[in-house]
Amino acid sequence: MADNGIGTSHQANTALIQASNLECKNLYDYLRTRPSTLLDRLYNHPAICLAVYRELPEIARQYVIRILFVEQPVPQAVVASWCHQSYSKEHTHVCQVLSDLFVWHEAPIPGGLPGWILNSTFKRNLKTALLGGGKPWSMSSALEADNKARDVSFLDGYSAERWECVLHYMVGSQQQEGISADAVRILLHAGLMKRDEDDGSPVITRQGFQFLLLDRQAQVWHFLLQYLDTVEQRGLDLGECLTFLFQLSFSTLGKDYSTEGMSQGLLIFLQHLREFGLVYQRKRKAGRFYPTRLALNITCSQNKGVPVLEEDAPKGYIIVETNYRVYAYTDSNLQVALLGLFTELLYRFPNVVVGIITRESVRQALRGGITSEQIIGYLKQHIHSQMLSGDNKNALPPTVLDQIKLWELERNRLIYSEGVLYSQFLSQADFNALKQYAQQTGCLIWSNKEKRTMVVNKTGHDDRKKLEIEECVKIYPNIYNRNLPNEIWCDDADHEHCIEAFQRFCPRHFIIDMMFVKSTTWPVCQF
Amino acid sequence: MQKAQNKLAIMACHSKISKFVYPGPGKPLDIRQVDGQYEVFTLVEKTVKQNLMKILTTETSTVYTESLLAGTIAMALCYIARILRTKTPGLKINSRILTVTGSGDSASQYMNYMNVFFTAQKQNVVIDVCALDQHLSLLQQGCDITNGLYLRIPQIQGLLQYLLWVFLPEPPVRQKLVLPPPVKVDYRAACFCHRELIDVGYVCSVCLSIFCKFSPICTTCHTVFKIPGPLTVKSKKKKIKL
Amino acid sequence: MADDEDPKEYRWETGYEKTWEAIKEDDDGFLEASVAEIIQRAKRKRQQNKQVNSKLGMMRHLYVVLDCSDAMSAQDLKPTRLLCTLKILENFIEEFFDQNPISQMGIIIMHNKRAERICDLGGNFRKYIKTVNGLTKTALIGEPSLQNGLELALKSLKLLPSHASREILVIMGSLTTCDPSDINKTISMLKHEGVRCSVVGLAAEVHVCRQLANETGVDPPPAAVCLESSLIKMGFPHQMIVEGTEEPLTMCMCHVDSTEEGSKLTTGGYYCPQCYSKYCELPVECRSCGLTLVSAPHLARSYHHLFPAASYREIEFDNQSLNCFACQKIFSEADKQVYLCSNCQQYFCLDCDIFVHDILHTCPGCATNPTTFQMFQSQM
Repeated sequence: MADNGIGTSHQANTALIQASNLECKNLYDYLRTRPSTLLDRLYNHPAICLAVYRELPEIARQYVIRILFVEQPVPQAVVASWCHQSYSKEHTHVCQVLSDLFVWHEAPIPGGLPGWILNSTFKRNLKTALLGGGKPWSMSSALEADNKARDVSFLDGYSAERWECVLHYMVGSQQQEGISADAVRILLHAGLMKRDEDDGSPVITRQGFQFLLLDRQAQVWHFLLQYLDTVEQRGLDLGECLTFLFQLSFSTLGKDYSTEGMSQGLLIFLQHLREFGLVYQRKRKAGRFYPTRLALNITCSQNKGVPVLEEDAPKGYIIVETNYRVYAYTDSNLQVALLGLFTELLYRFPNVVVGIITRESVRQALRGGITSEQIIGYLKQHIHSQMLSGDNKNALPPTVLDQIKLWELERNRLIYSEGVLYSQFLSQADFNALKQYAQQTGCLIWSNKEKRTMVVNKTGHDDRKKLEIEECVKIYPNIYNRNLPNEIWCDDADHEHCIEAFQRFCPRHFIIDMMFVKSTTWPVCQF
Repeated sequence: MQKAQNKLAIMACHSKISKFVYPGPGKPLDIRQVDGQYEVFTLVEKTVKQNLMKILTTETSTVYTESLLAGTIAMALCYIARILRTKTPGLKINSRILTVTGSGDSASQYMNYMNVFFTAQKQNVVIDVCALDQHLSLLQQGCDITNGLYLRIPQIQGLLQYLLWVFLPEPPVRQKLVLPPPVKVDYRAACFCHRELIDVGYVCSVCLSIFCKFSPICTTCHTVFKIPGPLTVKSKKKKIKL
Repeated sequence: MADDEDPKEYRWETGYEKTWEAIKEDDDGFLEASVAEIIQRAKRKRQQNKQVNSKLGMMRHLYVVLDCSDAMSAQDLKPTRLLCTLKILENFIEEFFDQNPISQMGIIIMHNKRAERICDLGGNFRKYIKTVNGLTKTALIGEPSLQNGLELALKSLKLLPSHASREILVIMGSLTTCDPSDINKTISMLKHEGVRCSVVGLAAEVHVCRQLANETGVDPPPAAVCLESSLIKMGFPHQMIVEGTEEPLTMCMCHVDSTEEGSKLTTGGYYCPQCYSKYCELPVECRSCGLTLVSAPHLARSYHHLFPAASYREIEFDNQSLNCFACQKIFSEADKQVYLCSNCQQYFCLDCDIFVHDILHTCPGCATNPTTFQMFQSQM
């Protein structure tokens, strides 16, 4: 299913050409980076507690709900016994997550054993979200019925249109009206677009491409996170905005909410949300707004793929055949443009677009920075329901998927690493000693015992040089380090020893005529 | 609460009828956020309270017969089948049925129970049972067949605790947590004449009714049986020939 | 199970069926409505064809005689006839034991003019599925011998008590058979013993097979008159848990003779009530005392054949009820017909009708009505 970027952020990339990939944080990662004072403030609102609760790992949720109604601290040993022996690693991970988020903290119980107790604010507010009895959320005072009420399908259309405006702008198809300067600023800040050197207009980046291929929920969430980063600069309060955002995500689709009682900052925030299509307001000054589907459950970017149960999930429209042909039953320019990123479009009809996946088209996408997982994820996400109803396991032809992955691997056949070649060792013992040393310090790239050659990376090389000089100086007391860090000099009195030292430690050396240079030092070559 | 995509249905059943309490018939109530509670929860609470009130007040007879639990589970299975039919293809759903009951077991619903359990097994629906009062051997068999959990609550004050601890996690998570182990279930059959559990019995080959001792006529299907003497001797002889 | 051609006409002799004319466009030029109607009608027809309310034999002993000659390596069924047949046979075995949990099955293969018994009659279906998987490696050589296969099966079926139904299912892929003597004698012997044979032919129809099937019985298998009804002695083992003590470690009897896995030494298991020998799984026939051991759910699985759910009547939808009683689906324009249960007077939708009669076998309306829920009181 769509890769939300969590995997890409952990990609270990040993190539010298470091590819920077799109990093999408989930709620846990985001909150972890916030200061704990902010978290304390945030936990005063039931909506945030509920959102955080939902994003916890499965076992953590069970733990929390079990001790939600318990007033005293619970011994850690007891909590550890709740989890099965074979899953103890998960247990420790989960305890770590809960501590990082300040959901619980350690507290000693009478008797001295360490125990866990839930953060009292969090506990209180989670109970409120569950059972009621607290203050009403900010946007929900009673309203008279709206005589121009909007129904769900209108809201869906509206939100799709607004959001696609942003995406169209990124892709560069200039059909609809452009987006506001604010939105462009956010895109630039997020690294999804960058200012082109020639004419200063924004141009999409590698991460931008990857962003386009994510599923809608993940896109909204990522975008909002970037927006929240810039919120402080605009003079809005981060805590307030976050609270409002989460309250919005728990509202009911199709119902209107009042703007009464919202602060100025929140109203500005609301206008921005209106622009991105998360809420609908008839006029700027209207006293009510409707949340759209994009705003609902925005933190649920972690669930693997398929969104909701009802019939209103976005319909899949792509069919992939085993002869690498792709048929997309759509007429949206955006979707056609996205497909064009990695397929070669052949024909276009009023309701179908036919393309073919070729090596060239995929390589072009790979060059642009899209990974094969993202291509596959995008195809899987928008797959036509007809293909799914046949065989659940292999909805897409495995030959095509494997080939896309192979085309990506082709580019990784050669890995470039800069290094230094050591050859012409005088003895096997030297070679072995040095190789072992290089392996221990982890800078050995390649070695060949028969030819007594090895390649060490630059840092190792520098380290080694220092080591060699130290050793040389240790053995031959009249040789010392001077001038450049990779030169050794020697007094003329010991020049036989010097020559021996040079032969041993330096691959190349010159001996300047002794007669000519009367100085007391003999230069040595670099090594 | 656990996941945004989880869906819930609640049914109530007693000796006369069984009904869906949530989602109730008709349109959902109009809920306003008043006290900090998540709106969906408020909706569930209010709907359940309203519909339960309706059921309890319209039921006026004082005759105590047993609850028709098997039929209610059958309705729940039809509901689950409908959801499975109309879902988007490729979506995986774990469905389960939790039965909270205080009434006793009865053999008169045996057939219905068995049909329902086998259907649940086929549809991969897990049936959990929370028994408040008596031990329910029939429902326990059902939990065993469908890989569910059977729990008899010792103290009623701890009901919430038991529900949260044992029945909240969904089946894939249950293997990670330490939960009450399944008890060995007694699968002996009861004879049709005395309703006693028997070890060795006689089964009519036509209608499969079980009797504890031999009788020449089957009481359910009225088939006449051959006298057993020569029959068993014949089969013994055949075995010796082998 | 029997041959599928109608004796009256061959397929190529019937006229053209203009199936494309069945689909008509409605006023807006959409085909959906008429296609949906066709689907509904097909569903309903399938439903009705299953309403055979007859006495069925419960304990069935079936021998599957499989043709493993070189005709089975033909590739008209992908990947080869044999592999295709084995795959389908696996499904059949599962369904068979699902519907008839107390029956037994055996497997015989015919190749190289001989017949070989692969599996004896038994009730452990997992073993059969494993065996069938292993059959993919058999060498397909020579010609099949129908007579040898039938006689081998008959040898074991003869010994069974008469209350059990005896059946043979032959899967033939070749067009010839190479028999040692007159096959008609074998056929008459089968008829005499009351063994019902069915044939599935993968190639063209062979006269001998047709004759075999016709002489020995017609499908579907109702309880034949010659089946004697008798009371079968059965045991219902339970776990024998004595409070406070642990179960003793004992060896199980079911694996004592098997060559692959030795007898297992375990604490849990089922003890035969007569002789206390232990078995790992039910149902099984006790080796020491001959008692059939089952557990109550196994018998219960077959009850639905005997006490089927009441069938529903089809009625035109006329707003009789707002929603389907079972699944709470709101009736809409697309449901032209609703279904009424004559017992409990509740309305159901088409999908629930199929679900109830195929899988559930209990009408939810009848089961939740205090006057109709007791099925045992109804007369057979």
